[in-house]
Amino acid sequence: MKRLLALILGCAMMFSLVGTAMAEPAVGGELIYGTTTEISGDWAHGAIWTNNATDNTIRGLINDYSTVSFDQGGAMVINQSVTESIDSVMNEDGSKTFTVKIKDDLVFNDGSPISAKHFVANALLFSHNSLIALGSKYTGYIYFTGGEQYKNGGAVMPEIPEDETEEAKAAREEAFKAAVAEGVAKGNVVFPGVRLLDDYTYSLTIVAEYIPYFYDLSYASLSPLSIDMWLGEGYDVKDDGEGAYLVGDMSVETLTPKVEKARFLTEGRITAGPYSLVSYDVGAKQAVLEINPNYKGNFEGQKPHVQKLIIVKSEKATQFDALSTGQINLLSSLTGGEEVNKALDIENGGGFSTVNYERNGYGKLMFQCDFSPTQFKAVRHAIAHLLDRPEFASTFTGGYGALVHGPYGLAMWMYKDAEEELNEKLNAYPYSLDEATKLLVEDGWTLDAEGKEWTEGIRYKKVTEQEAGQYEHNIKLADGTVLMPLIIEWASTTDNPVSELLVTMLANNKDVATAGIEIRQSVMDFDQLLLWMYRDKTQGEQYGVPKFGMFNLATNFNPIYDPSFTFTLDPEKVALGYNVNFLFDEQLDKLSMDMVYGVESTDPEGFLKLWVEYIDLWNEDLPEIPLYSNVYYSIFADKLKNYTESSLWDFDASIVYAHIEE
Amino acid sequence: MLKYILKRLVYMVFVFLVVTLLMYSLYNLIPSDPARAQVEPMRNTLKPDQYEAMYKQIRLEMGLDDPLLVRYARWMGLAPNHLGKYSGLLQGNFGYSNFFKKPVIEVIPEPMKYTIFMNIFVTILALGITIPLGIKTAVKKDSRLDRGVQVISVVGYSIPIHIIALVMIFLFAVVLRIFPVMGMKTPGSNYTGMQAFWDLLYHVTLPVLVLTFASLGSMTRYVRAAMIDALSMDYVRTARAKGVREKVVIYSHAWRNALLPVITIIISWFLGIFGGSTITESTFSLNGMGRLNIQALYNKDYELALAIQLFYIVVSLIGRIIIDLSYGLVDPRVRITK
Repeated sequence: MKRLLALILGCAMMFSLVGTAMAEPAVGGELIYGTTTEISGDWAHGAIWTNNATDNTIRGLINDYSTVSFDQGGAMVINQSVTESIDSVMNEDGSKTFTVKIKDDLVFNDGSPISAKHFVANALLFSHNSLIALGSKYTGYIYFTGGEQYKNGGAVMPEIPEDETEEAKAAREEAFKAAVAEGVAKGNVVFPGVRLLDDYTYSLTIVAEYIPYFYDLSYASLSPLSIDMWLGEGYDVKDDGEGAYLVGDMSVETLTPKVEKARFLTEGRITAGPYSLVSYDVGAKQAVLEINPNYKGNFEGQKPHVQKLIIVKSEKATQFDALSTGQINLLSSLTGGEEVNKALDIENGGGFSTVNYERNGYGKLMFQCDFSPTQFKAVRHAIAHLLDRPEFASTFTGGYGALVHGPYGLAMWMYKDAEEELNEKLNAYPYSLDEATKLLVEDGWTLDAEGKEWTEGIRYKKVTEQEAGQYEHNIKLADGTVLMPLIIEWASTTDNPVSELLVTMLANNKDVATAGIEIRQSVMDFDQLLLWMYRDKTQGEQYGVPKFGMFNLATNFNPIYDPSFTFTLDPEKVALGYNVNFLFDEQLDKLSMDMVYGVESTDPEGFLKLWVEYIDLWNEDLPEIPLYSNVYYSIFADKLKNYTESSLWDFDASIVYAHIEE
Repeated sequence: MLKYILKRLVYMVFVFLVVTLLMYSLYNLIPSDPARAQVEPMRNTLKPDQYEAMYKQIRLEMGLDDPLLVRYARWMGLAPNHLGKYSGLLQGNFGYSNFFKKPVIEVIPEPMKYTIFMNIFVTILALGITIPLGIKTAVKKDSRLDRGVQVISVVGYSIPIHIIALVMIFLFAVVLRIFPVMGMKTPGSNYTGMQAFWDLLYHVTLPVLVLTFASLGSMTRYVRAAMIDALSMDYVRTARAKGVREKVVIYSHAWRNALLPVITIIISWFLGIFGGSTITESTFSLNGMGRLNIQALYNKDYELALAIQLFYIVVSLIGRIIIDLSYGLVDPRVRITK
């Protein structure tokens, strides 16, 4: 019996060993990834200058080693391949210091060692005044103690006197500019919030204003930057005890050619990611990447197995022909019935596989809730009841879509954890003319244009002077009564299939007219729509006057779900373009802020509880009507194995786990 | 003659300046906030303070807070930019591409190179086919050949170019697999020298065929019409009556006279070498001028679009002078002697 057991155990061990050996796929092969978005050739990581989707994909492939990463579910995790430890401590002034110790065996793709100064250099360089002058869009410095001062060359903006004259203001600004220029020219500007503690340790101190924060770990996230590649000889990072600083000539004149070269450098580019950029053909818009042999692995220690990646520009009209003839091996994020059906046809023909996933976002009808009929919740609810949303989502996405009832995506961990509760709580606003009519009647939309009882046509409501505002369609009766007609001014963009379907299913829906509502569409360029939405009168006085109560747009979420300021009551932030719904609900604002700024990062349950409350209240306030959430498909040649993709797990992250079997 | 050319050049400079002002104003009258458009996609990832800082920085860089005329002066190089430097058109700075985040002058050369490369073949092929064909069909008017060419040219002329492109892709790339569907080089290849040239030629052959086919109809019909007119003239009848050989009658007497209306088209074709085909380049994913131009407009990259269009204006103005001078070469009656 013992012998038999020993034999079975021995066999099991052998099979497991063989299995392990077989589980590790061979490194090799190549994959051609077709993308319909433009490649600009700007490889500076972090979207410092450009923010094109394909550039970001390539940046993601050649740059990793961030101390904090996102996992497959979009959760923030410490990158164990890079980080030895991250410790945090609260300071007396309310600020928080993260001390990061990195591994001592990290190297760039050229084999040169990575130390703490390469991480610190990232924050120092892109926050520097000269880099800002050269177009750097890095704004992370605002979180770190002394960040603003560092950005201004060490100069401190003097306090603005209350009764300052125009001349005094101009003089103060000139003096400040001179102080900034002098500070930059002097060099060695110290960044107190960023410290280089030893060869493998640095610290970042976050100002009290941004603490606590549910995602505060993101503040500790930095990735290494090659000082040699960006700045060249004679440059270094030092810290004499007051804060880290860059050593070397940091004038705009000196940096301009260096930065221009580093941004677009392809061959010999020093990076630290799963892949290295081998070549980029500007003319053919084709980038070639190969495995970085010095890569230690991602946050899970995973290393890539597809030896060569070729990223080519493709066109929607011919991308499937290119796929079926082998000119492209993978197309990602296909959406809509036409594209998805083509992809499925090709898959059915053999030789190809697909993966699909739900979008982390949705298309929507957005309301501005401080004027016109859309200021009344009952009107927003009535419109929701008059649009058959399941039918809309199905028609628009060709059957490859889903529906949400609030500002969330179906792939989010919060939704998955609270799905049942949300299903019970949230109003799906089912299609119902009766319900819409009832809501309108209860809200006082019972009059006609002469102030008599409504029988047909557009409904009117007696409104207060404050409610009436400057809405252009208001009617003033002889007795001074102001009547507001149920006319919804809707702004939509040109060549937009969503708008076209909305015309059919909402604006021209006879039930909408039966309910006494008229929806008037204005078609415009997207930039102009933004001007109306933000009420940006710097671009024309007309935009400063609210005109449109309804807009159709789309929203995508990031792994960091942070709706803070989305419903801010602060007029300054509203003027800046926050709270574009102009919905001033104190509770909603409080929930959106507390969810992220009132919960410690160690308390996901607390976050989830507030999130559910926020979604519930949002669903009741209904500042937007979610219309559809696409299901995306990616199709790839069968030679690619173990490839998964999701809205939280892009091509650049998932390809690291895939391999080629020819 | 020299005085005439100088006079035309002075006019050209004047027209160019007026056009720059008009076009710059038009682009700036488009209701949009380019700074807002740039930061908007990042709104979800930024906090209000960051958003504000970035928005203000971009407005400053783009000089959007200044009046239109100041911005025009800056763009022309007559006023200093936000860094206090004079850097505009007059200093050789053709603007800054907000999409590519680099000077326009660095964006244009590659697409221009490919467009010229492709158009040289298209022009040679198209003129090489259409002129002899137009002459032949005019000489053999109402013959089977003429009728056949008429039908084909009408069909070619009527079908939109993107349909021609898609049909040819299906035939030659998907079914027969002779040519690639798209692109300008074999993915992942690292060819140099002649290998790179042949690879490029292999990739542009199908688009060249599409462009050539699409242009056959109009040019053939144009040459044919001009030749029919010329062949019906008295001097042709006289030449034939004198016993001049038919070839001499056609090419020396008739074609030379038919050339005058055709020359405008021929020179425009040569100038068109610089102009890309938006639809064909986009369909075949070719990085040419037509695609760049439409992308610049689509991306609201107005300085790039402006630079491309101003380049075409310059080409067109020079083209007008060349056409006027060439009339004199072809027809002594309109030669400028003073």
